[in-house]
Amino acid sequence: MLLRIIVWAILAFLLVPLLIIILFSFHASPALSFPFAGFSLRWYEELFGNAQLASAVIKSLTIALLTALVTLLLGATASLAWLRFGRAGRGMIEALTVTPIALPGLFVGVSLLVLFAQSGTQLSTATIVIAHVVIAIPILIVAMKARLALFDPSLEEAARDLGASQMQTFARVTLPLIAPTLIASAILAFAVSFDEFVVTSFVAGTETTLPMYIWSMMRRTVTPLVNAISTLALFFSIAILVASWLIGQARRRSAIAGRLEQLEPLP
Amino acid sequence: MTNPRTIIEIRDGKKVFGSFTALTDINLSIRQGEILTLLGPSGCGKTTLMRLIAGFETLTSGAISIDGSDCAGTPPERRPVNMVFQRYALFPHLDVFENVAFGLKVKGMPKAEVKERVSRMLQIVQLDNFANRYIDEISGGQSQRVALARALVNGPKVLLLDEPLAALDLKIRQHMLAEMKRIHTETGATFVYVTHDQDEAMILSDRVVLMEKGRIVQIDRPEDMYARPKSLFAAKFLGETNLFDATVSAVNGIGTTAVTPAGIRFIGAETADRQPSERITVSIRPESLSFQDGEAATQSAEGTVEDVVFIGSRSFYTVRLDDQSPVRIQVQRNGRLALPSIGDRTRVYWDSANVVMLPHS
Repeated sequence: MLLRIIVWAILAFLLVPLLIIILFSFHASPALSFPFAGFSLRWYEELFGNAQLASAVIKSLTIALLTALVTLLLGATASLAWLRFGRAGRGMIEALTVTPIALPGLFVGVSLLVLFAQSGTQLSTATIVIAHVVIAIPILIVAMKARLALFDPSLEEAARDLGASQMQTFARVTLPLIAPTLIASAILAFAVSFDEFVVTSFVAGTETTLPMYIWSMMRRTVTPLVNAISTLALFFSIAILVASWLIGQARRRSAIAGRLEQLEPLP
Repeated sequence: MTNPRTIIEIRDGKKVFGSFTALTDINLSIRQGEILTLLGPSGCGKTTLMRLIAGFETLTSGAISIDGSDCAGTPPERRPVNMVFQRYALFPHLDVFENVAFGLKVKGMPKAEVKERVSRMLQIVQLDNFANRYIDEISGGQSQRVALARALVNGPKVLLLDEPLAALDLKIRQHMLAEMKRIHTETGATFVYVTHDQDEAMILSDRVVLMEKGRIVQIDRPEDMYARPKSLFAAKFLGETNLFDATVSAVNGIGTTAVTPAGIRFIGAETADRQPSERITVSIRPESLSFQDGEAATQSAEGTVEDVVFIGSRSFYTVRLDDQSPVRIQVQRNGRLALPSIGDRTRVYWDSANVVMLPHS
């Protein structure tokens, strides 16, 4: 009983703020407090007429897309290395790539800023993408490795044995089998990039991404517009994560699913 | 032609992994069309030997030739052999048809011909109704047959099978053994079959290669290996047996006599290479011992019945001989014969033809 109360309390603590923001994004009055004065879509209408906001959204989407693509390329290469390496090699890849997760965003932001300044790199969309890739790569590798560990290397041997060259084996067996994992991981990178704020604020220069725009809006005054933007961003993020999960799961016949079944005792 | 053609020849093969010698002194000729079993306990090197033939490993020294040509440096995809993997390694993203068609497609065979050959092969393994199923939609026994078909459709000169039945349960295993023999007859391919299961080896093989600790210890027809093991390891690995330490007391034209420390006398029909006072181990199978003094059963020992295990058509008796060594006796059920009960004094008989004398371990 007590346990149940604690669980509900934690869920309430996590979810009530979200629900309040969603509720007030539909509030008919600009007041951000109760009593509730009725529903309206006025804040959403106002949003769609805001050119600055639109450009921030487009900027964020562009950066997220580029981050996902670069991360996918690097991640695919890393995952192939992962498949080839033994335990020691895998440990090394992990140590090198996953450590940045543990570094504070502040530290990553400052070091990147110093790096760009020292090398005379102009801060721009490109520097934001580079920063986001640095953040997304370890997350991508963590997401991939659990599934790649289940990739059955004898599938590649079987392909070679049946007459496929190394390139044919990659194109016909390895890639189709790891593709769902790679795509799901790339979507995750997209989501990470889309709402990244701390590191972005160091390396953005004059560029404005969506999270930065929201923050600058709130610095002036807390308007109900913020609630509407946040609500949209929330549902967009949820949609992306669900898509990523579905791609990972729905492919029942991916390497991983097949292997899992083989590992279970046969009937 | 009395001697069938040799399809694979391995000369002085040796394989070392780091500081571990996986295989040494491997000399083996595989004959065209035979089912040859590589038999041995896990870690004896049988799988490594198969992977060497497939091209997944390279010999540290020695040579392998397939169909007369040395295959050092030939990658797996260019060797005229195909392999059935232990867990089948079927492609989970392809259906049964595409799995079987894989080898033909990567070789660039025209579509119509691929379809024809795959269909014919699916008929042979009786899976023609499953062509569009995915791998996770078929049973273990069916997966096994897909794996066989996927390898055989390429018309390999040699089919390599790595413990193909290990993942199946007993009933399907027996069925698949019969299937395997039928498919072998139908395709006429040479089978090299790796297993640690002596029953599979006995049922399936034309010849058995028995391996221990990276060496080949005996190559023989299964019945010869069972009846005439050349080492203690072979006697113990294939089937059950009773072993006695003994010393050779006489060697003459009709056979060799050996006596245990307690005075039990064994006369073996073989005379080869035995010296008086040499220490040997005598092996007699449980089914070669009997409670009746048959026409040929010329030797015997006395003991007390300790245990009886009844399993349908046969019974297993444990008799403690007077020298305290227990022996296992297998008796066929036969209504006419009176059999002793637990605690009875009895005499155990055997025939010199069934006495196998082995080098002392």
